[in-house]
Amino acid sequence: MFQFLFKYSSPVFTKGRFVLLSTWPKWLLPVLILGFSVGLATLVRRRLRDASPKMQTWRAWAIWGMQSACVALILLLLWQPAMTVSALSSQQNIVAVVVDDSRSMAVADSDGKTREAAATAALQDGILSGLQKRFQVRLYRLGNGVTQLDRLDQLLPVQTATHIGDGLKQLAAETADLPIGAIVLLSDGGENTAGMSGSGIGIDALQSLRNRRLPVHTVGFGKVNRAHDVELEDVSVVSSAILNARLTATLSFKQDGFAGQKATLTVRDGDKRLAAREVMLAPNGVLQTEQLFFSAGTAGAKSLRFEIEPLAGEENPDNNAMTQPLLVTDTKRRILYIEGEPRWEFKFIRRAEEDDPTVQFVTMLRTSENKVYRQGISDPSELADGFPVRPENLFDYAGIIIGSVDADYFTPLQQELLREYVDRRGGGVLFLGGRSSLSDGGWGASSMNDLLPTFLPPGRNNFHRNSATVELTAAGVDSPITRLLDDPAKNADRWKKLTYLADYEDAGSPKPGASVLVQMNAGHRRLPLLITQNYGHGRTAIMATGGTWRWQMSEALGDPSHDLFWQQLLRWLVADSPGPVTASIPQRVLMDEGHVQFSVQVHDRQFQPTSDAHVTANIVGPEGTNTLVDLTPSRDTPGLYQAVWTAEKPGAYLAEVTAASAGAQPEELGSDVLTFQREDGIAENFHVEQNRTLLEQLSSQTGGRYWEPSDLKNLPRDIAYSEAGISVRTTNELWNMPVVFVLLLGLPIAEWLLRRKWGVV
Amino acid sequence: MKLWQIALVSAVIAACCVGLRGYQRVADFGFGNDDSPTNVKAEFYWSRLAYNVNMQAFGSYGHYGYWGRFAWSRDYPKADRQFLIAMHRLTRIDGRPTEQVVTLDNDEIFNYPWIYAVQVHLWSFTDEEAKRLREYLLKGGFLMVDDFHGTEDWENFMNGMRQVLPDRPVEDLASGDEIFDTLYDVDDKMQIPGEQWIRTGRTYEKDGYQPKWRAIRDDKGRIIVAICHNMHLGDAWEWADDPNYPEPFASMAFRVGLDYIIYGMTH
Repeated sequence: MFQFLFKYSSPVFTKGRFVLLSTWPKWLLPVLILGFSVGLATLVRRRLRDASPKMQTWRAWAIWGMQSACVALILLLLWQPAMTVSALSSQQNIVAVVVDDSRSMAVADSDGKTREAAATAALQDGILSGLQKRFQVRLYRLGNGVTQLDRLDQLLPVQTATHIGDGLKQLAAETADLPIGAIVLLSDGGENTAGMSGSGIGIDALQSLRNRRLPVHTVGFGKVNRAHDVELEDVSVVSSAILNARLTATLSFKQDGFAGQKATLTVRDGDKRLAAREVMLAPNGVLQTEQLFFSAGTAGAKSLRFEIEPLAGEENPDNNAMTQPLLVTDTKRRILYIEGEPRWEFKFIRRAEEDDPTVQFVTMLRTSENKVYRQGISDPSELADGFPVRPENLFDYAGIIIGSVDADYFTPLQQELLREYVDRRGGGVLFLGGRSSLSDGGWGASSMNDLLPTFLPPGRNNFHRNSATVELTAAGVDSPITRLLDDPAKNADRWKKLTYLADYEDAGSPKPGASVLVQMNAGHRRLPLLITQNYGHGRTAIMATGGTWRWQMSEALGDPSHDLFWQQLLRWLVADSPGPVTASIPQRVLMDEGHVQFSVQVHDRQFQPTSDAHVTANIVGPEGTNTLVDLTPSRDTPGLYQAVWTAEKPGAYLAEVTAASAGAQPEELGSDVLTFQREDGIAENFHVEQNRTLLEQLSSQTGGRYWEPSDLKNLPRDIAYSEAGISVRTTNELWNMPVVFVLLLGLPIAEWLLRRKWGVV
Repeated sequence: MKLWQIALVSAVIAACCVGLRGYQRVADFGFGNDDSPTNVKAEFYWSRLAYNVNMQAFGSYGHYGYWGRFAWSRDYPKADRQFLIAMHRLTRIDGRPTEQVVTLDNDEIFNYPWIYAVQVHLWSFTDEEAKRLREYLLKGGFLMVDDFHGTEDWENFMNGMRQVLPDRPVEDLASGDEIFDTLYDVDDKMQIPGEQWIRTGRTYEKDGYQPKWRAIRDDKGRIIVAICHNMHLGDAWEWADDPNYPEPFASMAFRVGLDYIIYGMTH
């Protein structure tokens, strides 16, 4: 019908350019149209007052509109309108027909046939012959890349991944010297390049297609929506943890057909089930995010399997699980606790930390004016001269706790060192409440005031030996520091029922960016108790009491609340304190490709970047393969070393990165360990429904069109309108389109009929 | 005056009395918040354990009468207060200048993680009290016992201790143990006699000829009960200001007591 009225097919109008062939000035056309319209309007207006009342309404302007449109059309025809469009020259161009040959094309959801069978049938059902009449046709299969085929029967949906972007980019590159006029892509749109949770075509692939003006016409196969399926979209969990750390994994998933039903989330280390949680499934198609808590367990490199246990009747149970590597270390973090007076909080924090094998708790306690009692020291010389005054001594600790100590106990040099410790070294400092702490210890007037996460109140009478009860804030409910019980509601309730604190201190109001995790009720006042913030590369916190020891003494024997809280708080304090050598990679799970970029930051003992170190990565891969990779220093960033490496085989890899100083007698600066894994063929199990959005975006961004498999008969004709390959630009005049004559006749007739109806003929 | 008038006046007077009594109980006259030593809030409270006496433990030493029933209060409160003066002068502990008496018949004891007990050969516990003391020690409380002498006292002391901690062994503390190095290095210890030394010149009582520095530890090796057997540190503190009582005994007693407190506040 469209072509009957408009003479040409729709691509002429969508891809062509409108031109006026007349040599008359083009500006004259709108001027004349405007002039005639205004003239007609004036005439109508002048006669309006003599017209019948019926015509003194919108009807008069309807008549004017039709007269003006008729005049405008006639004027437009005088200027000889036309569409110019580029079309491929017959038989001089190649059309690349690319068929997705990945495993997801074997899903039988196209009227009982597999997607690949439906694609093959569509091609054999006249499309291929139609294309061959006009163009040379080349067949390609698409998986990890593209491969040319001789015949359609060579297709077999066994490829373990679909890399549409990479494949099209490869095709554009390999056919750079060929007159490719267009690409026809038959696919379900399952793109694996960006990982299981990614779904886009890379910008570089789009750019390579645009550079050659290659239109990609996409034909989508497979159901867009799943009937009964649960799919794990993403798992977020830390890459490394310390021994027996309590970890949180965030699982994102969608489901169709099981809304309101219960499903079980699990995490396994090999055959051992670490944790499980039952959740209620959200409405169909809604992205649901749930947390799973588990213990990191013993030290070692682990491959954790996160799963939503398959439900009865699920179409694709293979997309219910993902694996994530986790490195559990037993490296001891050293924490220095300086306390200005003997007090119970000191004792009970020490006892809590004695149960944490990942922490070496070093304490210095001022027992009398001139005596310091040291505990947990590595050797007799440690802290023998008091609080460290040299960066290499202080920066050795991953965290610092400052108890009831006056600010002026620290020299200006030590105060600056503390600030640098947090800001530059990235350490954590925790300030406790006490009679010489915070405002009562003169910290508000010291240069270290910046470090504190609160604006301290004025005066020195803010510490009170009175009781205070505690409760979590909204931020505290979500924080791993305050998680005494896994269930958030029960945990919040547990905090409310904790026995009262022996004392408290008014820590003031939180600074912008600080988080209050726990607050306390002291009399009629509600005050912040635990406040955390990030500062520079590190973090600081205030625990505005010296009286949590009552949680240990007054709760039931064996109640873990006190010890668990302090262990979690101090683990938070030191968990992100970097070592002198810090290695990282962009992705820990490599899907169907082994490209790894190592980045290693190296510091000396004073935590200054070191650019002349010798940095190597010893990579242990599957089947015991061992590779030594040298990293090269970055030219742009001091202390940064990089290397690119390829993991050839699927499996788990462990890389130990070591940095040594340069010189005749190299000294080890430090080391770091990271783990990653390559997984082949797993991504293809995910997003098996047709990704129509991706196919539509790909075609629209390259000048092609998305086609339904049932509506392909015009594909061979429409595909010809392309600027790629060998094309000619044709001019299609519009004056003789049937629709023009319909309008030229229709507008006056309609006007006449309306006039008759309204009685103004 | 008619009967109903008498009844009305009586009722009004009774109501006033009740109201006045109630007001006296809850009103804040400012008396409770003064700076008197007993009202001072502090980090450390010298806590003396008051216990019930095992009458069978009097044994061959006859009747103790009033002093037997209140054996826990031996040297109380002078010893406690003199020790607290020394503690205040020699350490940075924020301690209350007066003692606190604690008992095992309620949970108040859990607010005082360091307790001192004397004449412990006379102590006696109900099952509930023994359980409370056991929980107290296992949660992190510290107990120092003093002023009991000889074999029979030891057996009587252990009768109570076995009720509290049935399976914990008692060990002799070596000279270099950490508890003797927390504030002062107390290497060469002597037997610290009670006040009777002034009259008799003997450092021992009963058959307790040798001083026994002993302890009971928890699962992690921390001392939870420090035992001063065949000694009387409490008397040494109490009589430290007596010119007839030798200064070396008093000094040693103060040093040991302070070491025990610092140990109890750090381990």
